[in-house]
Amino acid sequence: MPERTESEMDAALKASSVLIVDDEPKIRSALRQALEHEVRTVLEASNGRDAIAMAERERPGLVIIDLGLPDMEGIDVCRAIRGWSSVPILVLSARTDEQEKASLLEAGADDYVTKPFSTVELRARVRAAVRRSQMPPVPGTDAPIVVGDLVIDTARRVVTRAGSDVHLTPTEWGLLRVLVANAGKPVTHERLFHAVWGHAEGDAQLYLRVYVAHLRRKLESDSYQPRLILTEPGVGYRFVLAP
Amino acid sequence: MKMAALSSEGTGARAESVQRWVIAFVALFALTGAMLLVRTDLEKAHVALLYLLVVLIGSAVDGSALGLTLAGGAFLLFDWFFVPPYNTLGVTNPLDWLVLASFLVTSIVAAQLLAQAQRRTQEARARTLEVERFSTLGAETLNAAEPVEALAAIAEVIRATLAVDSCDIYVHRGKDADLELLAHASAPKVAGSTLTVARAGGLLEWVGGRKEMAVERQDGTVTVGTVVEDASAGTRDEARAGWFLSWGDIADARAIAIPLTVRGRSVGVLRVANEPHVDLAPGQREFLNALSYYAALGVERVQLAADASHTAALRDRDRLKNALLAAVSHDLRTPLTTVKALAHTIVERGAGPGDSNAISIEEEADRLTSLITDLLDYSRLTGGALFLAPQIESADDLIGAALARVRGIVETRSVRVTDDEAIMLLGRFDFVNSVRVVVNLIENAVKYSPPDTPIEIGVHREGQNLVISVADRGVGVSAQDRERIFEPFYRSPGTPPAAHGAGLGLAIARGLAIAQGGDVAYEPRPGGGSVFSLLLPAVEQPALAE
Repeated sequence: MPERTESEMDAALKASSVLIVDDEPKIRSALRQALEHEVRTVLEASNGRDAIAMAERERPGLVIIDLGLPDMEGIDVCRAIRGWSSVPILVLSARTDEQEKASLLEAGADDYVTKPFSTVELRARVRAAVRRSQMPPVPGTDAPIVVGDLVIDTARRVVTRAGSDVHLTPTEWGLLRVLVANAGKPVTHERLFHAVWGHAEGDAQLYLRVYVAHLRRKLESDSYQPRLILTEPGVGYRFVLAP
Repeated sequence: MKMAALSSEGTGARAESVQRWVIAFVALFALTGAMLLVRTDLEKAHVALLYLLVVLIGSAVDGSALGLTLAGGAFLLFDWFFVPPYNTLGVTNPLDWLVLASFLVTSIVAAQLLAQAQRRTQEARARTLEVERFSTLGAETLNAAEPVEALAAIAEVIRATLAVDSCDIYVHRGKDADLELLAHASAPKVAGSTLTVARAGGLLEWVGGRKEMAVERQDGTVTVGTVVEDASAGTRDEARAGWFLSWGDIADARAIAIPLTVRGRSVGVLRVANEPHVDLAPGQREFLNALSYYAALGVERVQLAADASHTAALRDRDRLKNALLAAVSHDLRTPLTTVKALAHTIVERGAGPGDSNAISIEEEADRLTSLITDLLDYSRLTGGALFLAPQIESADDLIGAALARVRGIVETRSVRVTDDEAIMLLGRFDFVNSVRVVVNLIENAVKYSPPDTPIEIGVHREGQNLVISVADRGVGVSAQDRERIFEPFYRSPGTPPAAHGAGLGLAIARGLAIAQGGDVAYEPRPGGGSVFSLLLPAVEQPALAE
């Protein structure tokens, strides 16, 4: 990992505050207990309006939003906060509507977890989101990414696996670059279409599936059990740095 | 050809015609008398021209019959009074024959031409009227916001054009032959009173059902029938119309019922009624024939609109169902989230006898979650509230996502994926629900086979199908259970008591697969164990550019 060490990251997490937005007091309480030892402060809001006001006042390091708020749609809260802040937003969804998850990501949410989730999973997502936000991209310091025996050097456009070069086509490179740039975050199909092909029409769906499969066959040791490029069912793909 | 407008005027028109004949002959004799007074001063040409004038006027006011009769009369009077020798039909100067013959021929031809021209004018006027009515009909049909209003407009146009007392349009309702009165038009002068003419019970249903025409007579009898091939029954046009009886049969009808058909399908019945009888001229019959098709289209439009609103109602119901299921899902998952999170917190914090209880609580919360998911999915499947979004997807993604989801369950087991062709395969399916199916098959394999045996996942193409198979080395499924395992709530006798679930897993798996054009199949595995396969519609792999 470049620049900062793991412990520095966790120190950053410990110094930040988390805003929990949920209309259910019991969920807020459960989340508070799950997170209070991880972060400096846990803030709570029971509706969208309060959440937006509090996010503006307290500048939390992370916002967790439940979708079923009484006064506003979760997606509108996301947009409102995204209007002026790049704070990571984690969405709690009780619904299995993947289309909705995708549109939340498009609206600026960083990640989502589906209820009921495990505390371990939630903490991992929170940690990853805070880390990402603490690690702003510094121009010119595109250090190569090393995952096991794989080295991805986006600056030099070189990928090596166990020391030998892996040839990637321009389209495969385009895909990989977008995924790596958003490492740890789910990237929607829609965003990948636009980033790689500039539009999402025709057979884009088909090509996206095919190119991802090709990329996996070149980068993963087992393309059926990927460790780098994970499938987010119905939503998109997620590139993970720490498998 | 007699004009439609004239024939419908009946006896009144005949009286007027007689009147015109009398006036014409009086005028002829008056002219003759007047000319006799000044006979010495008159040239034969004057006489001929004046007589011709009378012939033409006669021809103009009452057609060629009067014109020709006047021409004959004028010829005789001309010869008798104005060609020497007077008061005889004889002729002194042979050239006078030429004068007389010329007069006769001229007046006959002129009378004929004039009558013909007039008839044409009248015909043209009638056509104009017809076109106007049709265009009115078209406009009214298009303007009507409600299909029923359009039908009422059609009924009124038919009634007004045929000058009958009433015109009713009946529509088939539902699948049976029951008819419902949908549009009624009656003449203002008899509003209400014509309704007392009761329709013969069951007759209209018969007309609609058999697609044959029916005539209700004044004496209460009824005649029904289809096309009459016999040429004497009517003109060729009438035979082509398909439903006309001989028009002679209809002469004393007080009501006519016509089946309304669209593309051979009976959609309703049109009924026109008039007291004392329906009097239709040939032009009106054609009009009725043409308009009955308009009416049929109008009826069809009403039916389609009804179907559309029915479909919309069904769609609304499905949407409601789905909203309800989503709400139930939300309401059940929210407390489970709390239970799970708090149980975990207890496990982490405490060190004491409560720990194992807290672990159990967390596990049971997970089990409850999967039960709820199963029940909700089963309700969606059986309640018709399942929404699938099939897209082009790869088998890689499908298997990868399924394995990621069962990672916690299978981490102690050996799971191998084999693909015969070692190439990526594509299919068209709903990704999320297909992942659910594959997860279910893997979970079953884990559950029903010994822990030290491997689970093998295969992917291959079989004809038009993409096949994902999950094979285990368990006890397999007995022959009598092979279909029953796909039934909801079925638990085979050998099910371990610890096995989770409500017995819905395979029923849901198969339901989800079938809903997207696939299936879930079982076959025993050579060497022992089971192979469950998910079949999904395959998609050809495209050729790729760099």
